[in-house]
Amino acid sequence: MALNVTLKIFRYRPNQPARCDTFDVTVPDAANVLDAIEQAWDKHDRDLMFRHACHHASCGTCAVRINGREKLPCIAPVRDYLDGGKPITIEPLRNFPIVGDLVVDVTGLFQRQEATGFVITRPTEDSLDGKRVDHTQCLAPASAAIVPFNRFENCVECGICLSACPTMAADDKFFGPAGLAAIQREVDKTDDPNARARLLDLADDEQGVWRCHSAWECTEACPQNVNPAEAIMDLRKQITARRFKKLFAR
Amino acid sequence: MGNSSAPHVLVIGAGSTGSATAHDLALRGLRVTVVERGEIASGTTGRNHCLLHSGGRYCVNDKEGATECIEENLILRRIMPHALEMNDGLFVALDEEDYAFKEKFLAGCEECHIPAREISVADALKLEPFLNPNIKAAVQVPDGVFEPWRFCTSFLATAKRNGATIHNFTEVTDLVFQGSAVAGVKVFKHRTGKTETIGADLIVNATGAWAGTVAAMAKVDVPVVPTAGVMVTLGKRFNNMVINRMHKPHDGDIVVPVRNTSIIGTTSWRVTKPDAIEIPQDQIDKMMQAGELLMPVLKEGRQRGVMAVARPLIASANVDARDFSRTFEAFNHRKQGGAAGVITILGGKTTTARGMAEKVSDEVCAELGVTAVCKTRETPLASYRMFYN
Repeated sequence: MALNVTLKIFRYRPNQPARCDTFDVTVPDAANVLDAIEQAWDKHDRDLMFRHACHHASCGTCAVRINGREKLPCIAPVRDYLDGGKPITIEPLRNFPIVGDLVVDVTGLFQRQEATGFVITRPTEDSLDGKRVDHTQCLAPASAAIVPFNRFENCVECGICLSACPTMAADDKFFGPAGLAAIQREVDKTDDPNARARLLDLADDEQGVWRCHSAWECTEACPQNVNPAEAIMDLRKQITARRFKKLFAR
Repeated sequence: MGNSSAPHVLVIGAGSTGSATAHDLALRGLRVTVVERGEIASGTTGRNHCLLHSGGRYCVNDKEGATECIEENLILRRIMPHALEMNDGLFVALDEEDYAFKEKFLAGCEECHIPAREISVADALKLEPFLNPNIKAAVQVPDGVFEPWRFCTSFLATAKRNGATIHNFTEVTDLVFQGSAVAGVKVFKHRTGKTETIGADLIVNATGAWAGTVAAMAKVDVPVVPTAGVMVTLGKRFNNMVINRMHKPHDGDIVVPVRNTSIIGTTSWRVTKPDAIEIPQDQIDKMMQAGELLMPVLKEGRQRGVMAVARPLIASANVDARDFSRTFEAFNHRKQGGAAGVITILGGKTTTARGMAEKVSDEVCAELGVTAVCKTRETPLASYRMFYN
């Protein structure tokens, strides 16, 4: 089985007017939208700029807007977008500077993520089948220490939440949902009161958790179920509790 | 920007090999420029199984490849610990034939210095509740998991810190000759639409499955056999450890957990062109069936994505591609009677990228008369996010 689809792709280069180009491509039944974009590049226009690496929602590079909604095209099946032969519109993320076509400059996102000290791995908390697993069993060949199972965090730093965020659209100084969710994860992971205080200080800023308008668009759009909006609400609670504590400690 | 009087090396390709090579050369004090036609890791490295090999997979039939894997596995644990899931792997015997393979497997592990221990079937099932309950034996080895894009950007971030320049979306269109030697590249910059020439004292062809394209520009041959493989990713993570079938590598005999998915792999067929490989549906079905033998639960897993990409294997005569060694080699084309100024690094795996970089960088330094030694074994890498600094 093969699918014939038309892609309408946003095209842009600095100092040139933006336009949309349409490409007819044929992809296998199991293809995702990223495969269709790659076909357009391979068969029609080798100057089409798009980002991609892992093709399984782990690297976060390929994020775009499909028919106006932020998506990882590597896990968006083409067959979900077969709407009576209507073209599938592919545009770059919002709220980032555009480098060319579908490529945006993610420098700001990564600098903020780095500022949080967000570690991309964590010990696994959940058992796989609902039963508790004794995960102190690793071989740890490089050392004698017994270590628990670990795994990568859900957040893939794709920038989708920043693109979907109405606050971000109004003010690019806002720390943004990804960074605030990262702070909340680190607060959760640390036992060190100084580290915790430093993280809460970072979030307790007019461009931090207090800038968020609670539109929940980030949580709605996140392809990895990170739920940044809830993380922001949780940080607000923790910061408020800390203020009360300080007040009564006087 | 490094030492301005040092020789200038241009690396083509920012997959795992090119990224690790840029890091190695920059650490040795050379001036380094990397050009990559697209996004970092958008070729073979990106569409990777993400398996940090212990070498167990090759320890019976490809001892050279297996030994390289375990050496590099232990080094990567030291230099990029924060970018790895380090949960080990299980090799499990499904039938009597697999069980009979166990002694060979354990002997192979010992010979290649891969730490391995047999654990009881009951313990294996306790650790991995979704394993086929009818397994006959289980051996634990130090497999792990990496994330390909961050693997590359960690090396590149460190290279940048040491003065390297990285140009992505910059495509080599031709080589520039001075007499019979290659003295630079012509590139097309997709961002600006401009063509530029970049001069270099030496060029490293780290384009993997695409090595033949660059070699043709240098009018030399490389023995690369682009060999595709399919992987299916599922909507849920079903295992903590990498689950391998204990036998000679076959289709669909490994399930690698990454983040919140499990990836079933892989198949093997030769392709003539490594770009945008189309995936035959029968390959997907075959893999799912084989994967379900290891973990019956996989049939309940929603398919989240399917990917295929070409491995850059080195051809050897009269051997099927599945059995080609996973070892690597640096080809100095001048020594083979071809153009001077280009060295191709070929073969290997992402797990062995650092070792590949060391090998080609040694060759680069010998060619340029530079005496600096490799320091990548003991140098911790910068955060991948510093690539954007």
